[in-house]
Amino acid sequence: MAETSLSKSRSGQAAARASGSRLTRLLNRSETLRGYLLMAPTLLIMGIGIVVPFLILLMISLWTRQGFGFDTTLTLVNYARAWSEPIYGTLLARSFWISGVATVATVALCYPMAYYVAFHVHRNKMMWLILMTLPFWTSYLLRVFAWKVILGYEGVINSGLSAAGLIEQPLAFLLYSPTAVIITLAHAWAAFAILPLYVSLEKIDKSLLEAATDLGDGPVARFFRITLPLSMPGIIAASFLIFIPTTGDYITPALLGGPDGTMIGNLIQIQFGAVNNWPMGATLSIVLMLWIAALALVFLLITRKMQERIA
Amino acid sequence: MMDVVDQLGALRAGALSRRKFTKGLLAAGVAMTAMPLTGRRAIAAEGDQATYFTWGGYDIPELFGPYIAKNGVPPNFATFGGSEEALTKMRGGFVVDVSHPCNQAMPRWVQSGLFQPIDTSRLSNWGDVIPELVDLPGNDAGDGKVWMSPFDWGQTSVTYRTDLFELEGEESWDMLWDARYAGRLGSLASGADAWWCGAIKAGVDFADIDSEGAFEKIAAVMREQRPLIRTYTDDTTTLEQALSAGEMVASMTWNSSAVLLQSEGIPVKFARPKEGALTWVCGPMIHKDAPNLDRAYEVIDSLLSVEAGHFMINDWGYGHSNAKAFDAFDAETLAGLGLSKNPLDVLNAGHFQHPQTQEWETRMNETFEQIKAGF
Repeated sequence: MAETSLSKSRSGQAAARASGSRLTRLLNRSETLRGYLLMAPTLLIMGIGIVVPFLILLMISLWTRQGFGFDTTLTLVNYARAWSEPIYGTLLARSFWISGVATVATVALCYPMAYYVAFHVHRNKMMWLILMTLPFWTSYLLRVFAWKVILGYEGVINSGLSAAGLIEQPLAFLLYSPTAVIITLAHAWAAFAILPLYVSLEKIDKSLLEAATDLGDGPVARFFRITLPLSMPGIIAASFLIFIPTTGDYITPALLGGPDGTMIGNLIQIQFGAVNNWPMGATLSIVLMLWIAALALVFLLITRKMQERIA
Repeated sequence: MMDVVDQLGALRAGALSRRKFTKGLLAAGVAMTAMPLTGRRAIAAEGDQATYFTWGGYDIPELFGPYIAKNGVPPNFATFGGSEEALTKMRGGFVVDVSHPCNQAMPRWVQSGLFQPIDTSRLSNWGDVIPELVDLPGNDAGDGKVWMSPFDWGQTSVTYRTDLFELEGEESWDMLWDARYAGRLGSLASGADAWWCGAIKAGVDFADIDSEGAFEKIAAVMREQRPLIRTYTDDTTTLEQALSAGEMVASMTWNSSAVLLQSEGIPVKFARPKEGALTWVCGPMIHKDAPNLDRAYEVIDSLLSVEAGHFMINDWGYGHSNAKAFDAFDAETLAGLGLSKNPLDVLNAGHFQHPQTQEWETRMNETFEQIKAGF
């Protein structure tokens, strides 16, 4: 790439050579510069789309509310409130609990599906994958509403159970509860688990499995000694992909959570809505981010340690 | 669509080749990608219509007969669940033509500087507007102009299932605090309704609602109620469906929920609590930067029309601001709906909301949100 441009500039006209060749020479000498140049569009988007908004958020979180405006003196008072008032800690813990359970449930449910496609489907794999991600063809909001219909008081589950004569009164805990949020999240994010799991399972060298069998491992031992450790990257990726966005999820708890299923995302939304305390909302967003980053690091360290031990 | 069915059929019969199926997928993909484009174009064509930012449920063509007759289509709608949320959104830079607060919020909306006075001479129906509804605290903008043109008025009270809720004595706000029905009671989520109903329950005089003692008293009754509530929502449809299914036996609602459920044959009643219901007047205000000012006036004129009034009274059971709209109904029908040709009879019989300061409003919302979350 650099060589062709170099040769082009050599064969080019004398006028272009003066400025063009200097740049080319510079590019040719520094590999780092070439790398950054190639990444420039991405870096630009990252900068504008992530870094700048984050800095704005950080700035606002250090301000305080004053009527409808802001007092722009920098202070940590919002962080102190987020630390000391029990509502924030409780909702944060509940969010991690709900999305943690949803993550485990999703990965556990999707693993067998991905396993099946990776090892037992030999034709039309693509079609199988597309069929598994079918729920993603409808909008997220519609999926949440669909679950409202399924879990509702006169919903599919309740009317099914009562038609079968199993219950007399509809089960009220199905809707407007943390359970409803967990069920919905576990379904709605399934595709995010299936794809990374499938990729990591598909990559496993089948000869390793044959070798394990030859050396006397039964199917269960083979799974725990070969398949599971080798698919760990997929499990980690799937867990991150689900845990991070669902912790801050807003619409599912808003529609299905009821009073006891409120999550931190709802609290943040309220700060930017009726409560009208943007600095507090910004603070909570940053606190949430820090917590997720910390938990992700711990998770990563644990899995790395475990992998080292297995290896 | 038939193509898709055919292809799926062929797939089942095992006759579809992989290439054909992939082609079908490609077509579906292209169709799906293209769909938002056509949608966007449709919106763009209506882009020069006025935008009406209103309560969820008021975004229906029935209220805009004259507007549609003139412009062919209804105005563009954006909806909110609570007026404080709406004000925050507009503070954040959301520009609309017309929005829809209630009397309690109106002076604060005026103070925000986001609205312009309404030139009533530009409204053909203004002559028929009931004057008592115009004469609200803070509504006079000088020069015969007003900030908010009254449109709908009504009550916030308890809608309950007459077959499921066993009444003890008179109808009362205590119904929504009845521990026998824990987990089967509902409430509006917005503090602009719920907190005031809590004040009535706590026996707080509205003139005194901003005192510290009142604040504590109301917070206490709201905390007491919270474990009994199945869900707090601003979506009236959710409450109506729950009442109709028997999932809830009683809920805080506006007039319309009871009227809608009754029209479907559900045995419900809109209670007349012995302590009095919460009463309010709402109406459109014009944004100061309204991009379609002429059409903004057409939106308001449509809302004030007799036609819109008939719909409001007959289908939703709300009071309307146009005196002529009541002529089509006899006194008995109106009384059955809890309405009257003299709005003050109804408004003063209940507890009429008072405007409050921004500080109070913010504090109230903050406290109520905490209570709803369980603190």
